Formats: sequence, structure tokens, C-alpha cells
Amino acid sequence: MTDWTIKQERHIPEDELHAYLDQALSRSQCAEIETHLSACKLCQGRRSAVAALRDRTTALLSGLTPRPVIVPPSFQDLRERQSRRLALAVWRARLQRSGLWAAGVVAAVSAGWVARTVLDPHRTTVSAPLVAQSTATPAPAPVTVTPVADSVSTAAIEQTATPAPLPQRSLVVATHNVSSGRSFRALIPAPTLQLASAVTPITRTVSEGGAAPLARPAGNDPFDRVWRVVPWEDALQIAGSELPFIEGIPVVGVMFQPGALGERPTVIVAQQDQNGEVIQSIEGPVARVNELRMRQSSDVHASDVARTAPDYVDGPGGMHRALRVLTVIGRLPVDSLNALARMATIR
Amino acid sequence: MDDLERLYKTHYAAVVRFLYRKIWDADRAEDLAQEVFIRAMAHRPEKPRAWIFAVAANLARDEARAAIRRKKHLTLLKDDPIPLSTPEPSAEDSVEREERWARVTGALAALTERDRDVLLLWDAGLSYPEIAAQTGLAVGAVGTTLARARKRLIEAHDRLDYQARTAHS
Repeated sequence: MTDWTIKQERHIPEDELHAYLDQALSRSQCAEIETHLSACKLCQGRRSAVAALRDRTTALLSGLTPRPVIVPPSFQDLRERQSRRLALAVWRARLQRSGLWAAGVVAAVSAGWVARTVLDPHRTTVSAPLVAQSTATPAPAPVTVTPVADSVSTAAIEQTATPAPLPQRSLVVATHNVSSGRSFRALIPAPTLQLASAVTPITRTVSEGGAAPLARPAGNDPFDRVWRVVPWEDALQIAGSELPFIEGIPVVGVMFQPGALGERPTVIVAQQDQNGEVIQSIEGPVARVNELRMRQSSDVHASDVARTAPDYVDGPGGMHRALRVLTVIGRLPVDSLNALARMATIR
Repeated sequence: MDDLERLYKTHYAAVVRFLYRKIWDADRAEDLAQEVFIRAMAHRPEKPRAWIFAVAANLARDEARAAIRRKKHLTLLKDDPIPLSTPEPSAEDSVEREERWARVTGALAALTERDRDVLLLWDAGLSYPEIAAQTGLAVGAVGTTLARARKRLIEAHDRLDYQARTAHS
């Protein structure tokens, strides 16, 4: 603190007057200033000027408000969003773990196949054309070779070839540009391998009243393989409080498809009414839901879409809000589906 | 009601205003303010008030960077600011309000980034030590910075006001 209280010719610095008026000084500092102010007309004038400047600043800034009254949304909503985010993070971590596990299995199986191929020359067939062939159509003139160095020529292969027919194998090795001396590479098609996440067994789906199994979305969608059918309890855990369904109709199954980075999953809740009609409530990113609506067969109708809580996605261009919607589809008139959609609850 | 909920109720509007004065988009400011409090729920900071404004400032900075990347012009950086989202003016004084709004945003834009940050944090209700912790200034320097920022804001505003009056006349 300065010693302006002792030397009367030294007045209160302007920044200290600001701090004094902002109540940012200690009690003892305030007492010193007040003592000086009571005796110094000049500093009294300065204090008034600083107070006016301060008040004007406050008045100017008060005009820079987005709306006259800012009402915070319910804190409970925020809590729910946070719990959903946590649930999603847990689910993603699980998915990532299962994905890594699946990748490990795929790698191990692939390595096994390659090892068998390399170590057992009689199990390796080289098809004449320089393309991979399916197992159902073996090469017209298969030859058996011992794996050789990269520089092997076609002639060398032909010399060691034995025209004995081989049993059908599920692995076909083709050579790429052998004649040109390029690397001798094995192409290992794995059409039957699936991600572990795609074949997660259904432990128990909620099934009341002998309901029919849940129909997966039609179409040849590359994402179909990661749709997961889960029990109701797990679904509640995964989706937090965002599971769309219609009260009073038995739930026959729940399916999830992971969203893009930062998005909550797309959810389909299938329910079956007393007449046996299966109604599916679909909640997810607007593009995904629209896509699913479009892909239904002509006798399946869809309700109008209704907006649900959006996703907040951290993208390359910063965080943005991604819209999510809910629709109800089924073999019912659109009016009925609209009425059902209005009854739909996000749980 | 826990501390964070109490803080949310008392400071939500201040956080929205703070964000709005940095990004000039009312809806986005509200989105980001909610994001700030959601993050606070997860982190449970020891000093929540300072923490929420620090996170808000970071989000606003990220938002501004993103906006620049998207080639969107922040009105704050323009000579002739056009509000993206302003309070609804009444029919008779809408022009005057617009001009007043432009003068204040113009004056705020005339400050250095540090002066502006300190001024906005003070206006949001932060104490000198909290402002110091967030801006990296010494506590003793906050008063100096604030004094300078206030003076420059008023000077810039008066200058713009004078220019507007001269142009009208």
C-alpha cells in the first residue's frame, strides 16, 4: 500500500480508487482511503469521476445482452443430459473394447490362416488368372507351389507345378503380377467374418404376450451389422433417459446403432399391439431417422417427425448442435401413427 | 439444492451474457452456457464460479476460432458491426437502438483483448483475485487494467457517438 496517508501531497492513485469502489481492497486499505478522502477535496472529486465512469461502463455493458430476461432451463434437464453423456461414454468404451477384442480375433484368425498357408504348401492353390477367386469356383487349372521369394517368375512356378487336383479350400491365394517380378501376395478374403459387436447374443429381450421378433431395418446398409439388439434393462442403461416408446403397448425389442462421434445412438423400440401389429419408435439423428423412414417397404408408413433433445457434437469446426427426431413406423394409417407418435414417451 | 445448482440459478444469465459479448450469437451463447454447467457437473470444481467463467472463456475462444475458420465475420471485429442477434427493438426506436448497440460493440472492439476480458469478467461479477487467476494478471494489476479498460471504453464510445452525430448532421 502506498504511503499517501502520511504525505498529504500524495493523492490516491486512480486504479486504487477503482479497486476501492469495486470493493476489492482490504478493510484496512479502505479505512486509509476513507481517512484521506475525508480530508482531500481533490481525491473526493476524483472518486466522483471514477464512480461516474464505473456507472457509465456498467450502463453501456448492460445494453449488450442477448435478451432482456434470460431464464435458465431446468437444472434437472441439464442433469439428465449429463447422465446421458456419461452413459454414452460408458457404452462407447464398452463398444471400443469389444471392437478391439474383435479386431484381435480377426488378426489372430488371419495370422493363423497365413501361417497355415505358408507352412503347408499343399494347402495353397494358385489360380491362373491374376485375381482373387471365390471358393465356390476354384481355378480351372490349379497348381501347387512352394512359397518362393518375391523375385520368382511365372516360369519358375510352372516348372514346380504339379497338376494334381486339390480339395476345395476356403482360402484362395492369388498372385499379383508374378510375371513382372512384383511381390507374391496372398489375398485373404474374409466374407464370413463378422465384428463381435454384430453378433452379440441376445441374453433376454422383453417379450410380453408372445410377441414377434424385432425386424431389423430393411436395406443393404453397411451399418446394419452394428445394430445391436439389447434387453430392455440394458437399453435403459445405454440410452439413459432417452428411450422412445408408447405407453401401454408391450415392448418386444430394442435395437441400437452407435452414432457418429459425439452423437447418441439411434434407437428403435419395437412394440406389438393387441392385433399383432408391430410399431417401431425410432429416435436418432435427423438424417439417420429420415434414411430409415425412406427405406421401409411401401405398406409401412411413418408418422411425422418430432424433435427430441439434440446432440452437442465436438466437430472439426467446433461444437455444434445436431438435431434429433422421433418417428413411429408401422403398418397403420399415417393418422394413427401420428396419434401414436404424440403418445410416445421419451424414457 | 446443491452448490452447483444454486450457482447455476444465480449465474446462468451472467454466463450467457459473458458468452454473448464474445461470440454475438444469442442461441449459441445459451447452448455454450449449458455446456459449461454440464461440464461443471462432471468436474465438480473447487472454485466453481471462477471455473465456469474460465471454461466459458475457452469455449468462446474455440467458437470464435471456428467461426473464423468458417469465414464468418464476427461483428465485433468489423468496423460497421451488424448484430447477429440483438434484443427485439420496438418499431419506433429500432434505428436508434441499433445505432446505440453498434456504438457499444464498436467501443468494446476498440479495447485490447486483455482489457476487454478483464472488463467482461468484472461485469460478470468476478472478484479481482478470480479475474487475476483467469487472466494471468497480478491481483494488483487488475485495478489498473480495469481503470484503463473503463476509460478507453467510454472514450471510444463517445468518439463513435460524436462521429455518428456528425454524420447525421
